[in-house]
Amino acid sequence: MKFSRKTAAFAAVLAGVLVAGTACGGSDDENASGGDITLTVDTFGAFGYEELFTQYEAAHPGIKIEHRNEKEHEKVYVPKLLQYLETGSGAGDVVALEEGVLTSLRGQADKFIDFNGYGGAELEANFIKWKYDLGKSLDGKSLMALGTDVGGLAMCYRTDLFEKAGLPTERDEVSKLWPTWADYSATGAKFQDKVADTKFVDGPAALYNAILSQEAPKNGNYTYFDNAGAYVADKNPAVKTAFDTVNGLKDLSAGLKAFTPEWQTGFKKDSFATMACPAWMLGVIKENSGDAYAGKWDVASVPGGGGNWGGSYLAVPKQSEHPKEAAELAEFLTSPESQIAAFKAVNALPTSPQALADPQVADAKNDYFNDAPVGKIFAAGASTLQPVQLGVENVSVRTVFEDILIAIGQGQLSAGEGWTKAIEDGRKKSE
Amino acid sequence: MKQNRPLARAATWFDLKAAPYFLVSPYFILFAIFGLFPLGFTVWVSLHDWELAGDREWIGLQNYTDLVLDPDFWNSVVNTLGMFVMATVPQLLLALMLANALNKRMRFRLLFRLGVLVPMVTSIVAVAVVFGQLFARDYGAFNWLLGTDGLDWKAEKLTSWTAISVMVDWRWAGYNALIYLAAMQAIPRDLYEAASIDGASSRRQFWQITIPMLKPAIIFTTLTSTIGGLSLFTEPVMFAQGDVGGGSLGQFQTIAMYMYEMAFREREYGYASAVAWMLFLLIVLVSLVSFLFTRRIGGTK
Amino acid sequence: MKDNLPKATVLTRIALGFALILSAFPIYWMFIIATRGNDVVGQVPPPLLPGGNLGENLERLWDMRDANFVLGLTNSAIIATTVTVSVVVLSSLAGFAFAKLRFKGRDGLLVTVLLTMAVPLQQMGIIPLYIMMVKLGWTDQLQAVILPFLVNAFGVFFMRQYAEQAIPDELIEAARVDGCSTLRIYWSIVLPALRPAIAVLGLLTFMQTWNEFIWPMAVLTQSNPTVQLSLSNLNGAHFQDYTLVFTGTALATLPLIVIFILFGRQIVGGIMEGAVK
Repeated sequence: MKFSRKTAAFAAVLAGVLVAGTACGGSDDENASGGDITLTVDTFGAFGYEELFTQYEAAHPGIKIEHRNEKEHEKVYVPKLLQYLETGSGAGDVVALEEGVLTSLRGQADKFIDFNGYGGAELEANFIKWKYDLGKSLDGKSLMALGTDVGGLAMCYRTDLFEKAGLPTERDEVSKLWPTWADYSATGAKFQDKVADTKFVDGPAALYNAILSQEAPKNGNYTYFDNAGAYVADKNPAVKTAFDTVNGLKDLSAGLKAFTPEWQTGFKKDSFATMACPAWMLGVIKENSGDAYAGKWDVASVPGGGGNWGGSYLAVPKQSEHPKEAAELAEFLTSPESQIAAFKAVNALPTSPQALADPQVADAKNDYFNDAPVGKIFAAGASTLQPVQLGVENVSVRTVFEDILIAIGQGQLSAGEGWTKAIEDGRKKSE
Repeated sequence: MKQNRPLARAATWFDLKAAPYFLVSPYFILFAIFGLFPLGFTVWVSLHDWELAGDREWIGLQNYTDLVLDPDFWNSVVNTLGMFVMATVPQLLLALMLANALNKRMRFRLLFRLGVLVPMVTSIVAVAVVFGQLFARDYGAFNWLLGTDGLDWKAEKLTSWTAISVMVDWRWAGYNALIYLAAMQAIPRDLYEAASIDGASSRRQFWQITIPMLKPAIIFTTLTSTIGGLSLFTEPVMFAQGDVGGGSLGQFQTIAMYMYEMAFREREYGYASAVAWMLFLLIVLVSLVSFLFTRRIGGTK
Repeated sequence: MKDNLPKATVLTRIALGFALILSAFPIYWMFIIATRGNDVVGQVPPPLLPGGNLGENLERLWDMRDANFVLGLTNSAIIATTVTVSVVVLSSLAGFAFAKLRFKGRDGLLVTVLLTMAVPLQQMGIIPLYIMMVKLGWTDQLQAVILPFLVNAFGVFFMRQYAEQAIPDELIEAARVDGCSTLRIYWSIVLPALRPAIAVLGLLTFMQTWNEFIWPMAVLTQSNPTVQLSLSNLNGAHFQDYTLVFTGTALATLPLIVIFILFGRQIVGGIMEGAVK
């Protein structure tokens, strides 16, 4: 038998391969009877949970946490999440939902566990009232999600580059430079005259969303959709104002799309000197700039007087195999103490009154940002922040507007053409 | 064993008749399940407003009528055809020249042949990552080399198509060159010798003899490039760092990317299936056209 | 291959040398950057010599939990090996039958195979395949990636073309007279004769599967990726840390480069053989 050995070898290989192929290398290495449980947590951007995970694992032997983080939110994180929810598998045990995404899901409470079944009702006092209420399903029966943070606005800027441009560098002085967006624009023009290689603004997205969140309260407190859910992007002055203001700053902008690799690189390349900063953005800036830029960023007030953009929630999809453990983890991560920790880590502005009042937050200085009194800047106004009505399709429409602003910056469209196209494409997405 | 003979004969007869089917059946069974069935099922899905969760509604040809009026779809068709032409024509010409150069007497022949094939070995993702860095706006090597400082290759149709076509060309030119080379080596030498005696220059020999004799190889490479080029996906996706939108206005979104976006980002499975079928039709159409076109090369013999 | 070919002119050699550099440079550069530190980012002219940071880069890649790089490598190895074995075995079986056996409907079936060669199935049927895998509950599992690739038309056709001329009919006749069954003939005559073709098809299939992107991207998630998906995630999340990303690309390319160095001659031969027929 000349080939029996070959046959045997071949069969062995095949068998080995088949066994390997069916024993999947997934993350489902649990057994129901009290072995190790792996909880997967899905986040985007920067949530500042790494230390908390370590803590939690130490306090709960038998629970392992796998953290899946996507940098890009609208085009990567959200579509995947919605796909997992629709197919009933693939989502993390705990998922982070940006405010706009949560708004779009409040009609689908059946896809998430109800925290009321896990002691969520007792937690009400831990959250600013509107934040807690927004986490409920539309019919108010189910508590779908727990708030993590709110998005008070400021303006971050590079002190070293301001010095180069002969501008003041001290934060109160800088705040005085731009009470309005027009002043901001004038400052930018001065800056770019002096510093050739750096643009004044990072790109359109953060600016646009910041201005939109300022303008919405003046116009019925909604953006693309009115309170009845009708598409009103073409009629709402808030949208037009934000759109036009950003286009007016086009020549001062590096034209980078937020959260793309190029944008992340821009931090290390001195591509821009200022950016609109909701509280959570500080963590993103720090993460992208790295230690080399410690102390070079600072925080001033935002032109146009405050606003609230973004902020997120945690929820547990129904498809989780460990709803109880996942709910406990989510409750831990949104507890006042954890919110304080996340604030320290990435400046995620707490949505818990206790945390906001805590000296660790209220008196906090951020050493990375040149010891800026972030507690005073952000936390002081947090309790007065109000949510903007968003509408179910707000995420897809927002994405359309952000993309078109980029295209206008690239010179592919005139501002007028861009506006028409944004209104139309937005309408298409909302249908 | 005498009494076993009829049995043995029956077995042999059965073996002769049935064994071939037994040998080819695994291929056809697997192909039916994972190739043919999905293909047919795509049609079925494309006639519905299809949701995974279970709600699906029969809407007949509406996906197709919507598609015909969808500017984003036509944009992706234009991009796909544009990049296909930009990538295929230079690539095949380059491959021809390479093959002609390789078809000479020299040392290290194998080394050269291996060398031109190296790009095909690299994964498309890796190629796109490397080229993405080379084409980067703010500090890319190409902007530095060309002196086009700050040129955003992703911003315009033409520049983004160029960048993506360069990736495709770089990867496939060597492979196609080897196919041409093999075909060149199969051409009988005496044809050339006769032409030399008639005083034909080597350039003329190339056009009069080599090209016509290469026709089957040219047709083959054109067809494979057509199928590959029209279903272009990975390079442009990686060029946008994993985004299937293909730039701020979809300036380099291909049909395959549009299909993917509709299916896996918008979760419009019915609509995406309609896109898939249109892509299929387009591939058949363009294959036919390029087949007829390449068949005419070098005149009829 | 006769040496009555015209001799290469100097110009030809220079042009070829240039082509060689163009072909190899991006890959060379990838490996170079993988050994450098991030100080080279944006450096003009770009660095061309290796540095000493490879170990550190590998360590960072290993610690990068969100890319799951090691798992990606393992998964890709499993997928590519399984698919390669399956394609080679099933293609050689069918190819042998189509080339050397007579049976009813043979030509019709062969034409079917040829026709399907022209269909980019992975892209055409991706949506129903995905729906199928969701219904089976196999999303994010390796078999979802493996199953659709177990056979391919090109393999069958390639094997048929090779078997046609590599196996003398007399040999099969003789074996039949000796009373060998078809399977027995396959084992003892066909397989050894097809060995070169098996090597080429196996290598090409392995490379192709290793590089597959669109289908794994649709059906797997970040927590159970293939190496190409890990790479894509890595590039998306750490674009500015491009020494890290290039270390990843270099690692993902390394197995193929090794295969190429070992079997390059056969691959070139195989591509050229297949082209002539």
